[in-house]
Amino acid sequence: MTATRRNLEGNEACALGAIRAGCRFFAGYPITPSSEVAEVMARELPKVGGTFIQMEDEIASMGAVIGASMGGVKAMTATSGPGFSLKQENLGYACGSEIPCVVVNVMRGGPSTGMPTRPAQGDIMQTRWGTHGDHAIIVLAPASVSEAYSETIRAVELSETLRVPVVVLLDEVIGHLTETVDLAAVPEAPEVWRKFAQGPADAFEPYAVTEDLVPPMAYPGDGYRAHCTGLTHAPGGFPTQVPAVAAAAVQRTTDKLTLHRDRIESWRVQDVDDADLLICAIGISARAARQAVRDLRAEGVKVGLFRPVTLWPFPEDALRALVAKSGTQTVLVPEMNQGQLALEVERVLAGQARVQGLFKIDGQAITPDEIAEAAKEALA
Amino acid sequence: MKDTADKTAFDVNHWLRQDQMPHFLCPGCGHGIALRALVWALHDLGIDKDKLAVVSGIGCSGRLSAYIDANTFHTTHGRPLTYATGLKLARPDLHVVVISGDGDALAIGGNHLIHACRRNLDITCLMLNNEIYGMTGGQVSPTTSEGRYTSTTPAGNTEPNFDACALATAAGAGFVGREVTMQVLALRDLIRQAVAHQGFSFVEVLSDCTEIYGRKNDLGASPEMMLAKKSAMRPFAYRNTVDVPFRANHLKTGVIARNERPEYGAAYRAMTAALRDGGAE
Amino acid sequence: MVSMEIRFSGSGGQGLLLSARILAAALTAQGRNVAQSNAYEPVSRGGLSRSDLVISDGEADFPLARRLDYMLVLDEAAAGASVPLLTPQSLVLCDAERVQTVPQGAFRTLSLPFTETARGLGNPRVTNIVALGALSALGQVCAPEPLLDSVLAMTPSKLARLNRDAFAAGLQMGETEPA
Repeated sequence: MTATRRNLEGNEACALGAIRAGCRFFAGYPITPSSEVAEVMARELPKVGGTFIQMEDEIASMGAVIGASMGGVKAMTATSGPGFSLKQENLGYACGSEIPCVVVNVMRGGPSTGMPTRPAQGDIMQTRWGTHGDHAIIVLAPASVSEAYSETIRAVELSETLRVPVVVLLDEVIGHLTETVDLAAVPEAPEVWRKFAQGPADAFEPYAVTEDLVPPMAYPGDGYRAHCTGLTHAPGGFPTQVPAVAAAAVQRTTDKLTLHRDRIESWRVQDVDDADLLICAIGISARAARQAVRDLRAEGVKVGLFRPVTLWPFPEDALRALVAKSGTQTVLVPEMNQGQLALEVERVLAGQARVQGLFKIDGQAITPDEIAEAAKEALA
Repeated sequence: MKDTADKTAFDVNHWLRQDQMPHFLCPGCGHGIALRALVWALHDLGIDKDKLAVVSGIGCSGRLSAYIDANTFHTTHGRPLTYATGLKLARPDLHVVVISGDGDALAIGGNHLIHACRRNLDITCLMLNNEIYGMTGGQVSPTTSEGRYTSTTPAGNTEPNFDACALATAAGAGFVGREVTMQVLALRDLIRQAVAHQGFSFVEVLSDCTEIYGRKNDLGASPEMMLAKKSAMRPFAYRNTVDVPFRANHLKTGVIARNERPEYGAAYRAMTAALRDGGAE
Repeated sequence: MVSMEIRFSGSGGQGLLLSARILAAALTAQGRNVAQSNAYEPVSRGGLSRSDLVISDGEADFPLARRLDYMLVLDEAAAGASVPLLTPQSLVLCDAERVQTVPQGAFRTLSLPFTETARGLGNPRVTNIVALGALSALGQVCAPEPLLDSVLAMTPSKLARLNRDAFAAGLQMGETEPA
C-alpha cells in the first residue's frame, strides 16, 4: 500500500486532477450536486498560487473562465443541469473562438430544477448540442472516482493541445461517490500546454490554418496584440461574412477534432469477443453493467460491455468493429434518461444490430439485476 | 501608474488598427469620440499597448475593441465584465478596460455590473450610453428617456430610465464619473483618472445615436444632439454656483463618486498568501 | 470482487456519514478498497440519512449496495427502508431507544442501547462511535485497534477521551452480547 492511496469523492477527484494538470483558475457558482468541486478548488488553488472566485451567477463563472484562459492560464468551472444550461452561450463562444477550458457537469434529475440530489444521465445530448450552431466539443464520461481524476487531467490536456472546451460529464452517483484511489496510478508526466504564438508579430494570424489545424494562441503581453471575437472570423481574427472564408472557419474547428480522433477517443471493453449481446453504457450505469456482465458470465450467458470513456466524439468505429467481430445481434443501452445514448448507438449501428434501451428516470441508479434481467429478455 | 499627462505628442493612429479602417460607425455617432478620448487617456498615462487588454460586449459599442491596437476581446452580449474579471485575476499585470453599452451593461449584463462595482477589481468600465439598441435597429433600452420613440415603444417610452452612475455608486464602485462626448478634453481627463484609479472604475459616456435615435425623435443632426446633451448637463463642479439644475433629473458630469477601499485582486492575493506555503494536496 | 457491504442508517445529524468515513479509512489503511455512497434528504438535521460502504479487493464492479452484510439502524426513520437488501446472513444492529419498529424478516437483529450508553458517558452525540465499537466486536468487519485509531484520527482531538470511552463501551457491549 502506498501513501498515495486515499478515499476521495468524485467531485474532489475532478478538482485535484485539474490542479495536477496545471489548472490555476476556477470560477464557479454553488449548485448541487457539484458544489464540492468549487469548495476543494477554493481551498487548494491558493496553495499553488492559483485563483478561485465565486461569481455572481453561472453565466459569469463561464465568462470568467474564458477570460482567464485568454490570459494564458488554465481554467475550469463546474456545474450541474440548470447551471450548465445557463453556461451554454459562453461555452459556444469558447467553441467558436477556440479557447481552452474545462467544464465539469455533474448530472442530476431534470428538466428544470428537477431532483437536485438524485442522479440522472439526461445531459448526454446537451453536452454535445447544448450551444447553438455547428461546433466541436469533447465530452469525457468517467465511471469511477479514479477515472474522474485521470479523465479531468486528460480533459485539461486535450483542451489545451486542441484549443477546444472539454466537458467532464459525471452523474450524481459518481460525483458524490467516495472510492479508494491511488493518485500515483497516473504516472508523472510533463505538464501539457497549448502552443503559444512565436516569431514575428507582423506575420501572426490568430486563426492561421496549420497542418494540425490547431492555431497557436497569442499570450497577452508577448506583443501580438491579437483580436478575438465570437463573430465568425477570418484567419486574421477579424469578422468575416465572405462565404468561403466563413465556411472554412467553422469547418476547420470540426475537422480539427476529426483529425485528432485517435488521441481523443477512448473506450473500455469487457468480455466482448464472443458476446451474443453487447451492453453500451456510461457512468454509474456502466458500473452496474460491469457487475451484470460478471454475474451473467457466471451463469454462462455470453454478454459483453462497451463503455465509451470519450462520449463525444462518440468512438463509433470502435463500436462498429466490435459488433462486426463478435457478430452480436443486439446492443442493450441502459441509461438514466429516456434514450439519449441509445439514439447515438442506433445511428452508429444503423442496420448492423438491434438496439434495445433500458431507461430509468426515477432518480435511482440502474441496478446490475435490472440490466441482467433486460439482457436475458433481449436474448430470449 | 501615475496620473500625469504624457508630454509626447498624442497620435491617434498609433493606437488604432489601420487595417480595420474605415470603421463601421454611422456618421455623427458619438462612439468614435469616446474611442479617441479613451486612447488619448491611455497615451497620457504612458500605457504599453502590449500590456493593454480591451474587452467589449455586443452592440455598437462592442465593435470598438477591434479598432484598438492592443490585446482585444469581443465577447458575448452583456458579459464583457465577466471575461474581464477572469482575465484581470489571471493576469494582474495587464491593464484591463471594458467597453460596454447601455443595453450591454444595464440590461442583459446588469447583474455583472453591480457585482463588479461591489467586488472592486482593478478594471475600468466605459459605458457608452446612447439610450438605444442601435445595432439591432433602435429598440428601447434601460436608459431611453421617458416619452422617447423607439421601434419597440411606438407610442413613446413609459419606463423610467436608469441613472447608471447612481447605480454604480450605490453598488460600491471605487470611481464613478460621467461626461458628454462634446467635452472631448474633459472626457479624456475623466477616463485618465478612472484608469489610474486602483479599483473598479465606471465611466458613463453620454454618447449619441444620430442615425436611429435622433431621427426617430426628431432630435436634429449630430451637432444639435451633442449640444443639447451638453446643455442639459450640470457639471459637478457647478454644484455651489448654480441653483437651478439644467435638467429635471439632475444628471451631473465629472467625477461623481470616489470610494477608496481595497482592490479585490490585491486583497485576494493577500488573504490567500498564508495558504501558499503549504503546497497543494 | 465485493466482499462486504455495510449500511449506516438513521436520521440526519447522527454522524452516520462520519462513522462510515471512519470505518472506510481504517479499511483503506489495511489495503482494502472502499466505495462509500450517501443518501440524505435536503435538510441538515432530521430526515432519512444513510451511508453505505461496499468493501472489495480492487475496484468494485458496482459501487452501490446490493446485499447488506451489516446494517446499523440508529433511528426509527430508517427502520423499514432497507429490508429488501437483507439476506439470512445479514446482521442488523438497532438502537434500542430510537428504533421502536425493529425490522422483521429472515435475518439476525439485535437491539442495543447505543443512545443510552452515549448519554451515560455525558454526550448523546457519540452514539455513532458506541455503535462503531459494537460493530467491531460483533462483525467480521475491522479489528478494534485500527478502527479506534481511525476514530481518533478523524475526530477533534478535544473529544479524544470521550470518543475513546464511547468506542470502548460499544466494544464491551458487543463482546457481552451472546453470539
